[in-house]
Amino acid sequence: MNSAQQQAMTLTINGRETVWDGDPSASLADVLREGQGLTGTKIGCRTGECGACTVLMDGRPVVSCLVPAGSAQGERIETIEGLAERADYQALVQAMLEHGGVQCGFCTPGVMVTTYAWMQQPERFDGDLGAALKNNLCRCTGYLGILRAAEQALAAGGGAR
Amino acid sequence: MKTQLSKSPADLQAKLEGQTRYVHDMRLPGQLVGKILRSPHPHARIVRLDVSRARAIKGVVAVLTGEDVPHHTYGPTKFKDWNILARDRVLFIGDEIAAVAAETDAAAKQAIAAIEVEYEELPGVFDPEEAMQPGAPVLHETIAGDNRPMRIALERGDVERHKQEAAVVKSGRYRSNRIYQGHLEPIGAIASWSDEEGITIWAPSHIPYRARETYAAGFGLPEDKVRIVVPPIGGSFGSKYVLKVHVIAAALAMAARRPVKIIMDRYEDMVTAHPRVPLTFDLEIGADREGNLLYKDVVVYADAGARVYWSPNVIATACTRPDNIYRFQSAKSEGHLCYTNNSPTTCMRGFGNAEMLFAVESVIDEIALELGMDPAELRLRNIVRPGERTIHGYRLDTCLLEECIDKVKAISGWERRADLPPYRGMGIALANHVSGFRAIDPRFDGSTAVLRLKGDGSLELETGEIELGQGMSLSYARIAAQVLGVPEGSILVKSGDTGRYPFGIGTLASRSTVMGGNAAKLAAEALQRRLVSLACEVLGKGASLEDGRIRYGEETYPLSEAAAWHRARHAGEELTVRETYVPDTEMPDATYYGHPSPNYPFAAHVAEVEVDPDTGRTRVVGYWAVHDSGTIIHETMAKGQVYGAVAQGIGWVTMEDLIVEQGRVKNPSMMDYRMPGARDIPNIEIAFLEGEDPNGPLGAKSLGEVALDPVPGAIANAIAHATGKRGYELPLSAERVWRAIHST
Repeated sequence: MNSAQQQAMTLTINGRETVWDGDPSASLADVLREGQGLTGTKIGCRTGECGACTVLMDGRPVVSCLVPAGSAQGERIETIEGLAERADYQALVQAMLEHGGVQCGFCTPGVMVTTYAWMQQPERFDGDLGAALKNNLCRCTGYLGILRAAEQALAAGGGAR
Repeated sequence: MKTQLSKSPADLQAKLEGQTRYVHDMRLPGQLVGKILRSPHPHARIVRLDVSRARAIKGVVAVLTGEDVPHHTYGPTKFKDWNILARDRVLFIGDEIAAVAAETDAAAKQAIAAIEVEYEELPGVFDPEEAMQPGAPVLHETIAGDNRPMRIALERGDVERHKQEAAVVKSGRYRSNRIYQGHLEPIGAIASWSDEEGITIWAPSHIPYRARETYAAGFGLPEDKVRIVVPPIGGSFGSKYVLKVHVIAAALAMAARRPVKIIMDRYEDMVTAHPRVPLTFDLEIGADREGNLLYKDVVVYADAGARVYWSPNVIATACTRPDNIYRFQSAKSEGHLCYTNNSPTTCMRGFGNAEMLFAVESVIDEIALELGMDPAELRLRNIVRPGERTIHGYRLDTCLLEECIDKVKAISGWERRADLPPYRGMGIALANHVSGFRAIDPRFDGSTAVLRLKGDGSLELETGEIELGQGMSLSYARIAAQVLGVPEGSILVKSGDTGRYPFGIGTLASRSTVMGGNAAKLAAEALQRRLVSLACEVLGKGASLEDGRIRYGEETYPLSEAAAWHRARHAGEELTVRETYVPDTEMPDATYYGHPSPNYPFAAHVAEVEVDPDTGRTRVVGYWAVHDSGTIIHETMAKGQVYGAVAQGIGWVTMEDLIVEQGRVKNPSMMDYRMPGARDIPNIEIAFLEGEDPNGPLGAKSLGEVALDPVPGAIANAIAHATGKRGYELPLSAERVWRAIHST
């Protein structure tokens, strides 16, 4: 990396402010993984097609492989590691285990981030988790376990409403 | 601070919390970035190769060409046609020519770009039938002068006579296509070298012991100088077996004397993908007027690509396995495995069987149509039954195929089929599979488990089979827990390190539940005996093991006490048992006759589709899957296998196609190679018809592949029912279905 491209950036990741020196055009996914050691965010394609790298920016799911780190300044970035610390996330984890929403686990961080965001604000996604997951590919589960788990977690009072 | 420990490195809860570390997430001290220079031509001679500019780039630690690596005869099957890097000739687009290890990704990329290669392009051959013709370019002179490393010819009964007797004959040329396995985790590895230990490769492979043997041969090393450590695997479905990228990472690590990590990006992964073997079937089936199937006659052409990965097993399966569903009175198979200048093809879930069943189940529906019979009734009339020996020698101790058909008719509302609106259709298809296959390794079959009592009274179970997220570890823990009466959560299942754990043939051929599960059961029974005899020795005669505790009279003791008793008597050594399960199977003979698996699962599936006549697009609107997999050990994970397999089948039949023209992949991205999303999957209703199989652990049979096997046939038959037109070539894409509808 050329030092001329280096810049100090302030990123808010999982509720903590971090100053990171680097290339502002580097992908947020790489900064999270390489710079911050947050390897929960996976990289499946680097072209925004598989959704494994999904994180939340101000509550909105984004494919972090396509987000330049510089543009994430001033946004609340949340990764699966951050969400996993929340009490209401655990209801979703248990529902996924019960309904078979996880197998190999590689798409899982992206699927969980999107699903959790949907549970918080279904109206943002026209209400339908199937639509919300349109950018998250899963090759193992056939999605049905994921959808049923999310419905159960939502019905049990997980999420915003 | 969390203090709860995960059940295994592949623990599902850890995956849901982002704590699982795949090979991509690992970093070793001093680790370098590895990259590979690949051929841009499908067939060419390397005229000049100059790496001097690459070697001079700052940060480059090693640059290797075919001149710098050993050239032993090796490969994962008996057709040993692999190299480490090409020396004179490249055989497909993506064939490896040179490799670089560098301090940074940027330096490695720069070095790859600085390698100068001059090629003399050679004529290529891309179609298996053309590859067999005289005058076609020959890929591997020493293995197959006619580009045909393997030929199958078998016949049972008198097919010619039945051809004379048949009242109805249906035939056709059916084709199955290249399917990209679609693993979400791109292919990669980390390798390291030390003079004492040899090669260590952290490689997501579900046949790591075959990988070890293959790679050791590639370097001319003894087998125990290669160690494969298997990190959690982020999806495989057959793509992560034995791979050149592992070998090249090792060669770079040996040259650089530092660990080297190669992670392919998705483009490289797809351009050089080793997809499902494409098969062409010239199939004919004849029946008498009552609908009794008389014969099956098929010629199969398989495109191995430029090297043999796992294609021989695929064509052998296609030529035999699906015949064991029906009482064909005679059957003939001819198979031709051919080299071409396409990227090597390999296995994917249900290999050989699902493809042939697409053709067989299609033709059987054509026969039913001609006879005016209900397709389910025609099948009921011809299926194999429990206690029978099938046409190729499978011994069916259990078989609930009849019950599967009855049940799938009931839950799908099969009688609705006669009155569906236009362009709506229902199709049925059957399937069988094996639970391990005797010929996977001709030298031996079975599995070994080690069970260890830890000081705190918990247990560790070690196996050579591999967890892929399918639930193998949960199943083994449940089997052992049931035998010993201990909580499942007290058993940690460990696997995936050829240097630490027992030998395993690997997780393929739907082996893991029955092979490894039986080993787990034997180990648990042995530990039980050892615990009782230890307790009798310490406490006195009559001590027993009850509900996971030692009982003597009125007193009970936890297993941690038993652990301490054993260690006190054995220099601190833990109480450990090692048991091997060897199945009572037969190696198929030269004509592929034999009883190759401890048991055989069966399934009947029904698909309901709606076809848009204006676009030809098919939507699967309902799906019903009924399975005879013996006892279901873990219902949630078992259902997950079926949901996932049906989803893959829906993708295969309606949308997926790795398009290769003149050896070049035309759609190497997940945008252009579309796989099913959440909205493409209808409700799938599953029924397991449980019955104990005498040869399975707790009565279980396999499930992972038999769940995919019938899907292409069921959907193809539903589309034919909806449109009145038969599709012969997968995928049954919108364009193909539209053309069929509008054909005369």
